[in-house]
Amino acid sequence: MSIEVQKITKTFGDFTALKDVTIKVPSGQLVALLGPSGSGKTTLLRIIAGLEVPDSGTVLFDGADATSRSARERQVGFVFQHYALFRNMSVFENVAFGMRVKPKSERPTKQAINDRVHELLRLVQLERLGDRQPAQLSGGQRQRVALARALAVQPKVLLLDEPFGALDAKVRQELRRWLRRLHDEIGITSVFVTHDQDEALEVADRVVILHDGRVEQEGTPEEVYEHPASPFVYNFLGNVNLFHGRVEGSKVHLGDFSMDAPPDMENGQTDPGAVVYARPHLLDLDHEPPKNRPHFKAKIVHIHPAGAVVKVELTTDAGNPINAELPHERYRGLGLQKGMTVFVSVRDMKVFSKAQSMLGGGI
Amino acid sequence: MKPKKLRKSSVLPGFGLTLGFTLAYLSLIVLIPLSATFAKAASGGWAHFWNTVTDPRVVASYRLTFGASLAAAAFNVVMGLLIAWVLVRYPFPGKRIVDALIDLPFALPTAVAGITLTTLLNAHGWVGRYLEPLGIKAAFTPLGIVIALIFIGLPFVVRTVEPVLQNVDAEVEQAAASLGAGRFQTFVRVIFPELAPALLTGFTLAFARAIGEYGSVVFISGNMPMRTEITPLLIITKLEQYDYAGATAIGVVMLLISFALLLVINFLQRRAEL
Amino acid sequence: MRSNSDPLWVRLLLTSVALVFFGLFLLLPLVAVFTEALRKGLGTYFAALAEPEALSAVWLTLLAAGIAVPLNLVFGVAAAWAIAKFDFPGKQVLITLIDLPFSVSPVVSGLIYVLIFGLQGWFGPWLAEHNLKVIFAVPGIVLATIFVTFPFVARELIPLMQAQGTEEEQAARVLGARGWQIFSRVTLPNIKWGLLYGVILCNARAMGEFGAVSVVSGHIRGRTNTIPLHVEILYNEYHAAAAFAVASLLAILALVTLAAKMAVEWKARQSGQELAHEH
Repeated sequence: MSIEVQKITKTFGDFTALKDVTIKVPSGQLVALLGPSGSGKTTLLRIIAGLEVPDSGTVLFDGADATSRSARERQVGFVFQHYALFRNMSVFENVAFGMRVKPKSERPTKQAINDRVHELLRLVQLERLGDRQPAQLSGGQRQRVALARALAVQPKVLLLDEPFGALDAKVRQELRRWLRRLHDEIGITSVFVTHDQDEALEVADRVVILHDGRVEQEGTPEEVYEHPASPFVYNFLGNVNLFHGRVEGSKVHLGDFSMDAPPDMENGQTDPGAVVYARPHLLDLDHEPPKNRPHFKAKIVHIHPAGAVVKVELTTDAGNPINAELPHERYRGLGLQKGMTVFVSVRDMKVFSKAQSMLGGGI
Repeated sequence: MKPKKLRKSSVLPGFGLTLGFTLAYLSLIVLIPLSATFAKAASGGWAHFWNTVTDPRVVASYRLTFGASLAAAAFNVVMGLLIAWVLVRYPFPGKRIVDALIDLPFALPTAVAGITLTTLLNAHGWVGRYLEPLGIKAAFTPLGIVIALIFIGLPFVVRTVEPVLQNVDAEVEQAAASLGAGRFQTFVRVIFPELAPALLTGFTLAFARAIGEYGSVVFISGNMPMRTEITPLLIITKLEQYDYAGATAIGVVMLLISFALLLVINFLQRRAEL
Repeated sequence: MRSNSDPLWVRLLLTSVALVFFGLFLLLPLVAVFTEALRKGLGTYFAALAEPEALSAVWLTLLAAGIAVPLNLVFGVAAAWAIAKFDFPGKQVLITLIDLPFSVSPVVSGLIYVLIFGLQGWFGPWLAEHNLKVIFAVPGIVLATIFVTFPFVARELIPLMQAQGTEEEQAARVLGARGWQIFSRVTLPNIKWGLLYGVILCNARAMGEFGAVSVVSGHIRGRTNTIPLHVEILYNEYHAAAAFAVASLLAILALVTLAAKMAVEWKARQSGQELAHEH
């Protein structure tokens, strides 16, 4: 089933959680709602589930208006951030609950419920823990019970609120790959909320990035990572260096180097300046100034050689910090030392106008 | 994104039904009858009201009720703290039973407490016969009233102080000791300040209960006008004389005192939660 | 139990003072009730209990508690549901108002109903016309009992349900449960010990109430006397042994209440349900 959210606005008292938000979740896809805390992502998920009522706007399920349907009529599976397992019921009873509360005419037989619960517990790899109480389970196990419970009612949509938020790093990694496999297996339209960009980029088919109650960008993980639509997205999706440039006509001047300004910045605006963003791994260091690439002189402050890449901290003459990441071979080849002055060049970057980067905020 | 208060979701059913029932039941049982009392008092006229509530016999009853309640609550602060201290900190045989029976005054009907204390304290009683030679008369005197009020008020202080005492940080105490404070100094400077709010709350609860108490006092007080007549008893006396206006006037004074004490208790407990 | 550095003599002194006080003020009265009750032998004891007036007092007490406790139970659950699961303005005021009957003197609690339903009260003339009696009759006793036990269940459940939040109920809702199913399958099992605790305390007070009932009862023997009122009459007529015999029933009720209370506290701790008021 596909989900469409159109022009949703939601306020809590003076606080505007969502402003005119529109998104589309294609049928069968796994979509991440990504954003920092306060961005409105959980509120949006709860509105889709019918747990929160929007001030205005509509929610469509397969094109049909579902806005006025109550949470119990929407047939969604919802996995709460803290699982919300029924503490007085065993794992088995938790999973069976949704089937047991169905009206008599729709309720499966005892045997059918039994079979279905066992099937689900097998799916989430908890077959032998059916008799346990929730309090006796680990966090990862509770998470999977919550998932099995949500799937038991054969929902058309699966919604997960920070599904791995309360787990430690290792379990998180395992569970998110497992969730991806599970999604591929059952193919149910799924939306999950997260504040962790790695999680969203690794697991989801599509990512919706929310900021201050608005959609900043929507697209595949590759699209949003490679072509961030705003400074906020660029910044949010990974470490970033930022350089200030001047705009003159259709050119951006960065240090001694000039390049073409992006199309939306042309038209001879008297823009006060441009901000250039570049990720640490897109910077290169050298003893000689490279040709055809913007570059600066900078002094090496610190080198962290441990890890997959070598992290180098530098400062420019003006005192601005720069972070670069180099492959080990390159680092050894250059023979870098703390205190050396080198040329930093930018292999790829993204230019935003200063006005735009102010809008992004938080940078 | 998650303002917790606002997430009390409206998706759960039954709000209108349960709140409606709550308000209707509260109004029928509590609010309307209480307002009726004020309305009734007002209908009797201010002069009559004032004459009734300032009648010397009535004023004497206020003095007795307040004085005895104050004395009992104050005594309970000391004894309640001592008992809570012993229960929390010292091991002794039979402690669980002692702990459970501290609540006896809550569970034992007041009339039973009243006749029992009277029987124990009168001149021939198990306790009274030893007090008599010492020149102490307990039954049918203000002292007896205070004793009854100590009995019913004790659990309030013990049960308010106990949890606070359990939570006094052992490390803070040890830190005080390591800084050279003696046991007594540690108590006065470190532990007591932490207990003070609970003691004040316990005192107020015990005092509030004592002000309105009837059953346990009425047997032991002897009910002599001007001397051992408590205010609640005067209401009953007026009712028995079919003086409804008089009973109402005194009832209103007691209600106003109750409300004031309720506000104080609410304030103390709210402050303790912060 | 925490280790402590109090000197032995301090410990012994304080413990002794506490135990002597406990013995004199709590244990002695309890022993005295039963001793006085049996002073004239078992025959007199049981005769006092078997008197028709005593039996009718027991019956009336059971009736009043049998009506007041279930009503206040339903009220307590409804109030706790509205207050703990939803947000609305004036909530704090409502909680305070629910506690109000605890701070009203029992005598005043009876008085307010006399002023409404008594002969000179608001509805007095109308009731008399229709030959209905509330004051000096069973309905008045029931009303006064409801008033004095009004907050017990609610004040136990409100903090408990507030602490438990609404997530489990929301989960049940999304899974398709209807209102009653949510309450009976999810909420009720989570609050059962707190509920039982409130009912035990409510019942003890309902059966033992003296002041409020005394005002509205009229003390008509065999008709409007509850157990505590019957004790009073016997005592005032110098039937001390009989009075204590009947009073011993109430003392037993108190002991049963304390034992049940302890058992529930223990059960609640085992199942992880923190009780709100441990008294």
